[in-house]
Amino acid sequence: MAAPLRRSLPSLGRTLLSPSPAPARMLSAAASDALVEIKPGEIGMVSGIPEEHLRRKVVIYSPARTASQQGSGKVGRWKINFVSTQKWENPLMGWTSTGDPYANVGEAGLTFDSADSAKAFAEKHGWDYVVRKRHTPLLKAKSYAENFKWRGPPKAEQA
Amino acid sequence: MCLVEVEKSPKPVASCAMPALPGMKIKTNTPVAKKAREGVMEFLLMNHPLDCPICDQGGECDLQDQSMAFGADRGRFTEMKRSVVDKNLGPLVKTVMTRCIQCTRCVRFASEVAGVQDLGMLGRGSGEEIGTYVEKLMTSELSGNVIDICPVGALTSKPFAFKARNWELKGTETIDVTDAVGSNIRVDSRGPEVMRIVPRLNEDINEEWISDKTRFCYDGLKRQRLNDPMIRGTDGRFKAVTWRDALAVVAEVLQQVKPEEITGVAGKLSDAESMMALKDFVNKMGSDKVLCEGNGPSPPADLRSNYLMNTSIAGLEKADVFLLVGTQPRVEAAMVNARIRKTVRATQAKVAYIGPPTDFNYDHEHLGTGPQTLVEIAEGRHPFCSTLQSAKNPVIIAGAGLFDREDQDALFSTIETVAKKFNVVRPDWNGLNVLLLHAAQAAALDLGLVANPTESIKSTKFLYLMGADDVDLDKVPDDAFVVYQGHHGDKAVYRANVILPSSAFSEKEGTYENTEGCTQWTIPAVPTVGDARDDWKILRALSEVAGAQLPYDSLSGVRDRISMVAPNLVHVDEREPCTISSEVKPPVKQQVSSTPFKTVVENFYMTDAITRASKIMAQCSATLLKK
Ligand code: SF4
Ligand code: FES
Repeated sequence: MAAPLRRSLPSLGRTLLSPSPAPARMLSAAASDALVEIKPGEIGMVSGIPEEHLRRKVVIYSPARTASQQGSGKVGRWKINFVSTQKWENPLMGWTSTGDPYANVGEAGLTFDSADSAKAFAEKHGWDYVVRKRHTPLLKAKSYAENFKWRGPPKAEQA
Repeated sequence: MCLVEVEKSPKPVASCAMPALPGMKIKTNTPVAKKAREGVMEFLLMNHPLDCPICDQGGECDLQDQSMAFGADRGRFTEMKRSVVDKNLGPLVKTVMTRCIQCTRCVRFASEVAGVQDLGMLGRGSGEEIGTYVEKLMTSELSGNVIDICPVGALTSKPFAFKARNWELKGTETIDVTDAVGSNIRVDSRGPEVMRIVPRLNEDINEEWISDKTRFCYDGLKRQRLNDPMIRGTDGRFKAVTWRDALAVVAEVLQQVKPEEITGVAGKLSDAESMMALKDFVNKMGSDKVLCEGNGPSPPADLRSNYLMNTSIAGLEKADVFLLVGTQPRVEAAMVNARIRKTVRATQAKVAYIGPPTDFNYDHEHLGTGPQTLVEIAEGRHPFCSTLQSAKNPVIIAGAGLFDREDQDALFSTIETVAKKFNVVRPDWNGLNVLLLHAAQAAALDLGLVANPTESIKSTKFLYLMGADDVDLDKVPDDAFVVYQGHHGDKAVYRANVILPSSAFSEKEGTYENTEGCTQWTIPAVPTVGDARDDWKILRALSEVAGAQLPYDSLSGVRDRISMVAPNLVHVDEREPCTISSEVKPPVKQQVSSTPFKTVVENFYMTDAITRASKIMAQCSATLLKK
């Protein structure tokens, strides 16, 4: 706990308007004691995030099931999409470069159990967020035996 | 995999087919159950080739998952594996039939959802294979879905074959704009390139399918793109210029024309933000001639119920009689057609159709080709009236193609008479629907882009085409100055004097309203090409250069402005039904003409700038539409 805190200290002077080291104390307090309230955007400011990324627009969504797989293990999690499209292809090698430090964070690095915890996270970092509705399948009661049920004399075949 | 051990049962039981009974003791995790599953897995893998490393399904394969979870750690099969000849199913679906595990999901999908009897199971035992019996292409507008359906890599996407592995792709959940349904999709991109499009579940709109046009139009996003602002020189050739120069030229021309000679036309793929900006800009310049293509000479914009699918797409499932007037849902909105078909299959609902002869993939009754039949029904002289009379939840669907007819008002009032007569609109059921054609239409009508196209284009001196390629360019006066703002070098570019490049739906944030009135957003997946900008930003910049600055300069600013004009467009992911009934209409004096209805969408695969630029769609039209 102490080491990352110390590392973030030098950036404090740059990003915070108040010169006192009070926020640093508050951060360590927040980690151990939930009574201290974290104001929106505060974590972003003390975590050394470059200023231009402090106000970002993000989309909070719950990824749909992959169309070609039936497994539901990964369904129901929440992700943050940083709407990052600053990308270009290296003309020599064809590698993709990006100018956005968050380009790969949302997809790979952040997963939340609920929309609320994703919201809280975005708020702490001072991001502007929209939450997209999660679509769930409509389950109908079906039984295998039903396929063989007698439904009266056969009607004209449906195409 | 569903084998479980049931106490007192000598053999493991297939849980998917066995109803649970009271007092049954089921064990899902015993050595017996595990061993039984391992055995099943071994049989499945017996004839399945070991080519996961070169298989396009690798990484998102159900069989891989299952064998990881239930399979053994080694194989005991040393004999020759069986091999099967690949089938040719057309330009979209690639087959590697040796990989098939005979689950018959593709057969069931084709016959139950897509409604084509193309696929079937041939032979038996180890000679069993999936095929079309005689060499035949799969001619369904939903055929791409068998790629997702297939649990192994037997059916994969032909255009995507060996292009990327799926773990390299970044998925962006957005929506489709190639028709008015607004299917939910995921755009998979690698770096700055869209690699494929797959469906995403939304029970209210597209369930879990998408049409082939939606799925395979993406290669159009890379072709024929407009990169730089361009001005047509005196020699008739385009020259790339900077944004500053291009906007200055446009602004200068704008100063010279009279306000009422300015016309703005929004294209069929426009989002609500850009249409709002276009309308505000043209109005600010002193003209009220803004319109959206496809909405006809006098758009029915007064009441939202006049141009929306009031029953909602999912609501169609409750209907028991359909009357389709001048619409061919199979080509106009494949997902709506799938819904109708689902209803017909499940409840034996009746479908009647008035319009030119066309393909249906369910039983239907062709009542006639022209409005005369409609009038007969309205007057109660038609034999179909008795069916309508006895229907509990009748649905009338009118095509948006009717908007283009001279006798539009009379037609719609006839349809309303039918609706009133047969109790189609009741407090608990609204069965009066319009099926729109383009993604932009509903939002354009909400925002009031309702000028008359023929009149405004004939007299114009300054024509602003925002992605509008299907306006009648012959009618544009020769001395008119045409600005084309769009993402593709399509038809209208030939007439343009200035080209302003904009971003396509996969590259911008935009609001779209689908045919049932559900507002949805696109989310950018990839960067735009070249120097292109978002549509509304271009208009905002131009307005400043032209001295009529628009009062917003951020996306939220535009959305605030939209919320003043049409509040329903800011409630995302929500369907806002129209609450006012259509009782309060002035009487119509027009006469219904006897011209038969026309086919509106001639080529399902090519309807807009993106699909017309797509090579895959061109192949589809060449091979699949051949009669
Ligand atoms: S869905 Fe795939 S594995 Fe199943 S029968 Fe069809 S081709 Fe074979
Ligand atoms: S899932 Fe039960 S037999 Fe396959």
